[in-house]
Amino acid sequence: MTAYSLADLQEIDDRCREIAAGQLGFDTAEVMYHLVAPDEVYFAAANGLPARYSSARWGAQFESEYGRYRAGQGRIYELIFNTRPVHAYLMQGNSLVAQTLVIAHCLGHGYVFETNHWLGGVDREIMPRVISAAERIADYMAAHGRDRVEDFLTACHAAAIHQPQAQLMHRAPAPEPEHRPRDYDELFEEEVVAERARMAAERDALRRRFPREPEQDLLRFIEHNARGLEDWQRDVLSIVRSEQSYFLPQLRTKLLNEGAAVLAHQEICQHLRLATDQYWEYEQLNASVVAPQPGQANPYSVGVELLREIMRIAVKPDDEERERWGWAGQADPFERVRTVLRSYDDEGLVREFLTPRVCERCRLYAFERTASQPRSIRVCTREADTIRDLLVRQHSTFGIPAIQIVDADFRGRGELLLEHRHDGVGLDPEYARGTLVEVARLWGKPCTVCTVRGRDTDKPVWFTGYADGTTDRRETQLGTG
Amino acid sequence: MAVLGDSGLPRDQGRRDALHHRERMRRKITDQLRERIGEEDIIAAGPEKRIRVPVKGTRQWRFILDRSLEEGIGGGDGEPGDVIGPPGGPTPGAGGAGLEPGEELYEVWLDMADVEEMLFSELELPRLKPKQQGGAQSPEVVFDDLARQGPRIDKRATLRENLARNARRGAARLGGIEKADLRFLSYRERPQPRHKAVIFLAMDVSGSMDATRKRMARLFFYWCVQFLRRRYDQTEIVFVAHTTVAREVTEEEFFDRAESGGTKVSSAFEEIERIQHERFPSDDWNVYALHVSDGDNFTADNHRALELIQGLTRVCALVGYLEVSPHSAPWERQGHKLLAFYEEHAAGLSGFAFAEAEDERALWPALKRFFAKDDVEAAVR
Repeated sequence: MTAYSLADLQEIDDRCREIAAGQLGFDTAEVMYHLVAPDEVYFAAANGLPARYSSARWGAQFESEYGRYRAGQGRIYELIFNTRPVHAYLMQGNSLVAQTLVIAHCLGHGYVFETNHWLGGVDREIMPRVISAAERIADYMAAHGRDRVEDFLTACHAAAIHQPQAQLMHRAPAPEPEHRPRDYDELFEEEVVAERARMAAERDALRRRFPREPEQDLLRFIEHNARGLEDWQRDVLSIVRSEQSYFLPQLRTKLLNEGAAVLAHQEICQHLRLATDQYWEYEQLNASVVAPQPGQANPYSVGVELLREIMRIAVKPDDEERERWGWAGQADPFERVRTVLRSYDDEGLVREFLTPRVCERCRLYAFERTASQPRSIRVCTREADTIRDLLVRQHSTFGIPAIQIVDADFRGRGELLLEHRHDGVGLDPEYARGTLVEVARLWGKPCTVCTVRGRDTDKPVWFTGYADGTTDRRETQLGTG
Repeated sequence: MAVLGDSGLPRDQGRRDALHHRERMRRKITDQLRERIGEEDIIAAGPEKRIRVPVKGTRQWRFILDRSLEEGIGGGDGEPGDVIGPPGGPTPGAGGAGLEPGEELYEVWLDMADVEEMLFSELELPRLKPKQQGGAQSPEVVFDDLARQGPRIDKRATLRENLARNARRGAARLGGIEKADLRFLSYRERPQPRHKAVIFLAMDVSGSMDATRKRMARLFFYWCVQFLRRRYDQTEIVFVAHTTVAREVTEEEFFDRAESGGTKVSSAFEEIERIQHERFPSDDWNVYALHVSDGDNFTADNHRALELIQGLTRVCALVGYLEVSPHSAPWERQGHKLLAFYEEHAAGLSGFAFAEAEDERALWPALKRFFAKDDVEAAVR
């Protein structure tokens, strides 16, 4: 089964590319495929990028995932990186049919990488930077001890995800209060004087506030403002931050990206005229990729069903849909899909196209945790509106709580105060404590976050972490000294 | 050509990172073991048994929403109201929307042998001096000599010679290395001296040592003995039990015996001095003495005990005293406690170290104090 050569794979690539361009209109740029051993695939998957800096964190992920693979509990078929040119790893030992599916799948990814606006925003020439960062971190490990650098990396990783997403709108900075002369001012001289004094005080308070506006970019703020950091530590902060920023657009377009890839492999493999046994094997693989998952919305199946729903609306809309979308019923289905792939992210895709039909096809349900059995879930509903709201909420924040720095001189002692801008649910206490300790280690002083207790949004709670690993919890705000 | 064979990347990086991860895990386990050294389940496990160590801090911390209130979307069978068991066994890999509740506590099974190795790797008999006796000396090969020829060149020495030779000619610089400059590493055979050591373990078994105190004393000695046996096969251990009189006992008696009566600490040191004098001359032996008591000694005897200790420090590498004082109230520490007496009169005595253990958690710090690996002087104060 595994007897095939690189030339065979090259031929498959050529045929797939032909079908992709002809049938789907995916004129994908060249993808560089590497046929590599399983451990290398798993290691690159653990890293997120090839040739990334060495860290025990990747080691932990590698060990658990590779262990699962060797125990026969899971299998990565492909790994693809949004770089220019796009690089993809094929795993040695996979059957020729599996490699065919993967190559077709990668063409879908490649098309999205090339055309999607959100993904186009990343620095796709990232590899030289990744390699140089890896060398610098290796140097720091040699100079300052591997453990010190690892501990620092652990602390950086805890906060790395909190950086602003690509945004269309930026909030205007709060204007400084200023007294404007009005008619009849001279009649109320005393009041005007008092008003002026009050505004001056407010202005002073505003100018003393640091940061002046809430800061969402945790690592960058710490890199620029923490005292007592050594140069190498600031460099590590900026490395972790910038490599993390490369992944954020991918989080934002997970459904879209996987949907396009599944659509590509399904369409291409339909047109490849595989022999019966090969087609059978392909169908089995495809079914396992899009199978529903109990505690998770399978991004492959939800993604492809959303795109197929768009294709259906383009060809066979019902009356309501005809009214809603001007192009309904009179567009080329693949052309519509390409348009969506260019400009949407997951939030928009779900908000607009998650119809009851998609929920049904993906067999989606909304669930909640039960207090009695914390490891189980209870199905709440299969109603599309509820599911859509929940999915939109998840994909607007990618499950990352909105955290921002509101005060870098908290309590007048140079401590860090973070604010959790909740949308109805507070932070997990245990994880908040653990994370705060790490942030305190970066900042060099205690770090506090203000959140709410569970769903009781009127009950604020403050957690504080100290660099020595201890934590506090308070239900009243301490004076800001 | 878009299909390439290799990725051109180093292959062993993943395994190396995994090893580093394992090493860090191991250290975390060790850290936690240190705190748990006094706990029943580790001590009671005894040799050959395994223990379960929950390891905290292996999670990758980040801010997440309250896990108990998590809502989400799933797919598959189930009607509204149905409860679905632990989703997917081991949580599926790449986290969908970044919400992965994270690992539970790690549970690691360890052999007691591993536990001891981890713990004892930090301990050492302090001030161990080579004591030569008999002809049984194994030669050891050491590369610490230089020669003008040989297989292994010593670059530093060669450059130094070159610099010196150029300097002699008037220009202190490097360059123009000639054969005369070359220096090679060379070896010598060094006789390896034997480290012979005897350690006296003296325990107060008087009536004032209640069950808790006796347990702590025994735990402490249990770990002393385990440590010594594991690390030094040449070490003699002498067990001394004392009330108002002291006598040498067997290991079984030492750990099992319960007595009652008054306390005279000096008797223990008299006995140690006698045995050491008769059987373990300090020319041939490194001598150590550890004494554990609750500190309830006759006040009049304290000075006598200290005199004997001063005498012992002249022949001993270390004399140690551990006072077990569970829940000691502040007023109890006044006056007649032995530790307070030592603190007052023997603080500067070189070769004498004392410590206090209020509960079992303090036993490990005490062990570390007596068997400090590097900084002996600091440990002995």
